[in-house]
Amino acid sequence: MKPLIKGLALNYPVKVFATGFVVLTLLSISLFWFRYICQMSLSVKMPGDAKDIRIEPSGLVPPELENDPNVVSHSRVFASMQPEEKGPLSLGIFDYFITRFPGGRRSPGGHRSNVYFFESDRDCMYFDKKSGQIVHLYTKKQTMLDITTSLKMIQLYVGPEGVSETQDKTLGRFIGPIIDHGWLERRWIDLREGGLSELILYDKKLRCFFKIDFNQRTVVKGPKLGKNDRRHEPIQIGLLDKTAFELSYLNWTPPRIRIPDEDPNKTGYSTAKLKPIIPTDYDCDAGPYLLVLDETGRIDLLDKETLEFVKRTPEFPGVAGRLPGPETYFGPKDSVTPRELLDYKVWPLALTTCFFENPEEVRVTFGDPSYFFKRAPARVERKYLGMFAASLSRDGTALALAVFDEKGKRIKESNTRLTKYEGGHTTQVQSSKAFFFGAPWSPTLTIGKYLTENLHPPILSVASYFTASAFEAASGHRALFFLPNSFIAIKAGDRGENIAERFMSALCWILPSIILAIWLACRVSKDAVVVGLSENARAYWIIGTLAFGLTAYITYRLTRPKITLVTCPNCGKMRRPDMVKCHRCKSDWHVPELIPPVWRVLKGTEKVHEGSTADAEEAVVE
Amino acid sequence: MYALIKREIQDHIVYFIGAAAFSAVFIIISISLIHRYNPKEPPVFSIGLGVPAVTIVIFGICAMGATQMYLDRTRKISALLSTLAVSRSRILLARIITGILAILILLVPQTIAAGILVRVFTPHIPMFPGMVFEISVVVFLMAFACYCIGLQTGWNSSALTPSLGALFLTCIFIPLILIKGFGVHIVVILVLFIVASLLRTWHTFMTTSL
Amino acid sequence: MDENVIKVENLVKYFDGRCVLDGINLKVPRGCIYGLLGRNGSGKTTIIRILLGLEPPTRGQTFLLDAASTELSAKLHGRIGYVAEGHNLIQNYRVGRLIKLCKDLSLRWNDEFFNHLIETFRLPADRKVKELSIGMRAQLNLALAMAIDPELLIFDDPTLGLDTVARRQFLELAIDLIQQQGRTILFCSHILSDVERIADKIGILAAGKLVVDCPLEELKERVKKLRVIFPESAPPNLHLTEIINQQNQGREMVITVANWNKQKQTALEIFKPSSCTEIPMSLEDMFIECTKPNPEYVES
Repeated sequence: MKPLIKGLALNYPVKVFATGFVVLTLLSISLFWFRYICQMSLSVKMPGDAKDIRIEPSGLVPPELENDPNVVSHSRVFASMQPEEKGPLSLGIFDYFITRFPGGRRSPGGHRSNVYFFESDRDCMYFDKKSGQIVHLYTKKQTMLDITTSLKMIQLYVGPEGVSETQDKTLGRFIGPIIDHGWLERRWIDLREGGLSELILYDKKLRCFFKIDFNQRTVVKGPKLGKNDRRHEPIQIGLLDKTAFELSYLNWTPPRIRIPDEDPNKTGYSTAKLKPIIPTDYDCDAGPYLLVLDETGRIDLLDKETLEFVKRTPEFPGVAGRLPGPETYFGPKDSVTPRELLDYKVWPLALTTCFFENPEEVRVTFGDPSYFFKRAPARVERKYLGMFAASLSRDGTALALAVFDEKGKRIKESNTRLTKYEGGHTTQVQSSKAFFFGAPWSPTLTIGKYLTENLHPPILSVASYFTASAFEAASGHRALFFLPNSFIAIKAGDRGENIAERFMSALCWILPSIILAIWLACRVSKDAVVVGLSENARAYWIIGTLAFGLTAYITYRLTRPKITLVTCPNCGKMRRPDMVKCHRCKSDWHVPELIPPVWRVLKGTEKVHEGSTADAEEAVVE
Repeated sequence: MYALIKREIQDHIVYFIGAAAFSAVFIIISISLIHRYNPKEPPVFSIGLGVPAVTIVIFGICAMGATQMYLDRTRKISALLSTLAVSRSRILLARIITGILAILILLVPQTIAAGILVRVFTPHIPMFPGMVFEISVVVFLMAFACYCIGLQTGWNSSALTPSLGALFLTCIFIPLILIKGFGVHIVVILVLFIVASLLRTWHTFMTTSL
Repeated sequence: MDENVIKVENLVKYFDGRCVLDGINLKVPRGCIYGLLGRNGSGKTTIIRILLGLEPPTRGQTFLLDAASTELSAKLHGRIGYVAEGHNLIQNYRVGRLIKLCKDLSLRWNDEFFNHLIETFRLPADRKVKELSIGMRAQLNLALAMAIDPELLIFDDPTLGLDTVARRQFLELAIDLIQQQGRTILFCSHILSDVERIADKIGILAAGKLVVDCPLEELKERVKKLRVIFPESAPPNLHLTEIINQQNQGREMVITVANWNKQKQTALEIFKPSSCTEIPMSLEDMFIECTKPNPEYVES
C-alpha cells in the first residue's frame, strides 16, 4: 500500500489532475460570485411591469355570479414573481436552514423537516422516523364535572393501521409520508371548532393514501397504487406550493360588489368599500377533491371520500390540469415537471352550497363555509370549479399563469410580458428578454454574466447543455461546475430547431470561450516545445486546454517543469539540462563553459601513450 | 512519529492554546445566549454569530498551515530532520496530523457542547436531527481544506507569498459554505479538494530541495 | 550487499542554468575513508546533498548503502551520521531540546559516548543553538552525528570554526571511529593536513569533473613535480602527455606531471637534461597543482 501511495503522489499526471481540481474549484467559486452579482443586479433592475400577470375575469366563476349586474369588479387571478427573492435561494446555506426548520420546505425532492409544525412543546406534530409513526401533540378544552374547563394535553401516535395514545408497534410504520400542508393552515379553524378535521397523507413507499381522523381516531386506507403502475407518482398533495421563499405570488379575488350603504351616485369608488359577491374563503380548497401533483407535472384529483383518483370518463379526463410551461428566452415549453420549475403555486376553486333546516335558506360560498355561519348548515354540497396554476421558470425570469376548468381543460393562459411604447406602437416583450435587456444597465450586466460564463471550461459548458434538465431548478442556481442556468443550457430548451441546429447554435453562445481555449492551447503548445515536454504530453496538454480553457492553462503554468533552460551549443536554442540529448537537435551533451583538464588520475586507468617517445626523439633531432 | 508530532505541537503551541481558548469562549457565549433561542423562529442570531466566528477560526487554521511550512523552509527544519532516522513523508504526515489535532481541539468541544445544548434546550422531538453533526463535519472539512491551502502556499522563503496567497485563496474558498450549505454536495467537494491539495503538497515536499 | 557504500553514476547537476557537476562517477568502498576535495564552488557539498536526498540531481543516479538516494528509508538515514557545512541545526531550539529530539528520532543512541562528548566539549544544555559560537555548534553537530553509532559518516567541512585543540580532538575521535570495523567516512575539508592524516582515498573535483580518484599513496606515486635543468634553454615542448603544470625559466623547467611512469621518464631523458630532481609534494601542494587553472593545458 505504501509504495502505491508514494508512487501516486510522485506521479506527474496525478499531480496535474490534483492541481487541476484545485484550480477548477477556486476558479469556479470566483466565477460563481461574478455571475451571482450580475444575476442579482438584473433581478433588482427587472421592470416591475414584466413581473405580473393578471387574468380578468378568471373564467371559473359561474356566469350568474360573474355577470351579476351589481358586480363592479370582476373575478381576477393575479400572479407575480419576485426575482430579488432568488438571492437567498441561490445560496445553499439559507436553503439548508430553511428546509430543516420546523414546517420547512413544502416542496418535493429537497430536504424537508420531519417536524410538520411546532407551536410549543404541547402543540406540535412530527414524523418519528424511528417508530415510523406520526406523533401529534395538542391540547383540548375539557369540561369537567364541576362545569369548569381545563386544558388536557393529548398525544396521539398515528400509523397506517390506526391511532393510539400510546406508542404501539401494531399501528404499523409509515416510510415516506407526504402530508397535505394545507391542513396545517386550516387546523386553527378546526381547533376553534373543538376538533381536528381529517388529515390526508400519501406514503411514497407504501404507495397508498391514508385519511386520518383525529377526532374519531381512525385511519382509513385507500387502494394501493400498483407497484409497477407508473402512471401515478405523487410528489405533493393538497397545498401545491414549491418553496418557502416567496419567489412567486398567486392570488385570486372573486367578483365584488359595492357595500350597500355606499352612495350609488358617487362617482368612482375605493376598493376598500367593496366586498365579495358571496362569502369567500381564501384557503386553497378543491371541494370534494384533493389536488395531487405528479412528478410529470400533471395534477390529478383525489376523491377525499374514497381516496381514489377520479376516474376518467367521457365527460371528465380525470386530470385537473398541468403545471404551465413558462415562456423563456428561447421559447415556451409544452410541458414542465416540478423539478424544472423554480417555483409553482396552484390554487383550486370550489363552490359550496349550504342547505339549512329552513328549506328556503340556501347559501352559496366560495371555499369552506365553516366559519361564515353561526350555525352549521344541515347539508352541504361542494362543487369543484377548477384551478389556477402559476409556474416560475428555472432561471426565474418568466412566469406563466393558466386557468383550468372543472374538466381539466385549459381555458385561459398568460405569460409575463413587458409592454413597450415606441413611436406610438406598443410591443410586448417576453419577460425573459426584459430581464436581460429591459432596464437601464441590464445589457451591461447581461454581457458581464455572458462573459463570466465564457470563462468557464468549454467542456463543462457543453456538458451543461446536455445535463441542464437533470438539475433540480433551485439547485441549479447553486451549481458550481455545471451551469444549468447559463445561456447555452437555456438554449437546450429551445424547441424551435432540430437537434443538430440547436446544438450548433448553442455552441455559438460559447464562441468566446472556444476562441479563448484555442488561443491558450497555442500558447501552451509553444511553451511545451520550449520546455521539452514529450510529444504525447504536449498533445494531452493541447487537448486538455481546448477542453478546460483557462483552468487548464493555469494548471499548466503551475505544473510545468521548473527547470532553467540552457543554450545548446549545437543548435543555439534553449534546451533542458536534465535530458541526455538536446530535445531540439538531438545532439549529445556538451558543457562548453566548463573546461576540465585533459589528464585524469583515476584508480586503474593509467594510460600508456606509445607515441610520446618517438615524438620526443624527432624533436631532439630537429 | 510521536517525537515528530510532539515537536510540531511544541513549535506551534500558540495555535493549540488559541484553539482551546477560542473553543472555550465560544462555548461560554453559546451557553449565555441559549436563552434567546426560540424553536419557532429560524436561528438567525446563531447564524449571524456563528458565520463570522467560523470564518475567523478557519483563517487561523490556514495561517497555522502556512506558518508550519514557512518556518520549516526558513529554519531548515526538514533539512535537519531528513538527515536523521526520519523520511520526508513522515515529517509531512506528522505535520498534517498536528494540523488535524489543532482543528479537533477547536471543534470537538464545541460540537459536544452544541449537541448537549441542543438536546437540553430544544423540545424532545426530532427537531434538528443530525444538524449539529452535519455542520460540524462540514466546518471540520472546510478548516482542513483551508489548512491544506496554507500548506501549499507556505512553502516559500518570502514571507509575503504565504501570507497574502493563503489569505487570498482562503477568502475565495470559505464562501463555498454560503454557496452549497452543509449538505452532501459540499462534503464531496471538500473531500476531493482536500485529497487534491494533499497530493499536491506531498509532491512538492517530496521533490523539493531542502 | 554491495561492497561500495557510496555510488555515484554519471551525476549531472545544474543550478539555474549553471553546470556544477558534469558527469561524476564515484565509488566509496566499505571501510574506506574518502577525502573529497575541491575548490569553493566545485560541487562537494552538492554531491553530498544529492547523496543524502536533500537535493534532486539534474541527471544521473546516486546510491547510499545499496539504496537510491531519492528512496532512502528512515532506517537507512538512521545508519548515517552527517555533519553539514554551516552546521545545519535548528537555531531557536535549546541545546537540550535538540539533543532530546535527535535522541528520540534515532534508531540507536550511545548515551554514554554522547555524554562523554558533551562533557568534553562542555556544551551548555540550556542555551539556544543560535547563541552558541560557531565552534560549539560544530562540536554539537559532531556529537549528534557520532552518538547514533553510524555505519557511514559524512563530514562536510566538519572542523570549520574549531580551534586547534578541538580540531585535534575531532581527528582523534575520527581515528577511533576508523579503528571500528566496517565504518566508512566521506570527508570534505579545506584543511588538507587533516585529510592527509586520515584519508585512504582522495577525490578532487575540478571544472565539474572528478579529475582525481585514487588511493592517497597511489596519488603521491602518480603525480610528480620535477625540477629539470637543461644545458641550454628549456625546450618549449617535451612531448609529454598529462602535464598538469609547466613553468619555464631559462634553463630551468618545473613540471608537474600526472601518471608519471617509465615511459615519460624515458621521453624526458631524450632531451638530456643536466639534472632532474623531484620536488616532494604534500597533499596540499598536489591539490593546488591539480586545481590551479592553466589555460595551456585544456581539454580540446
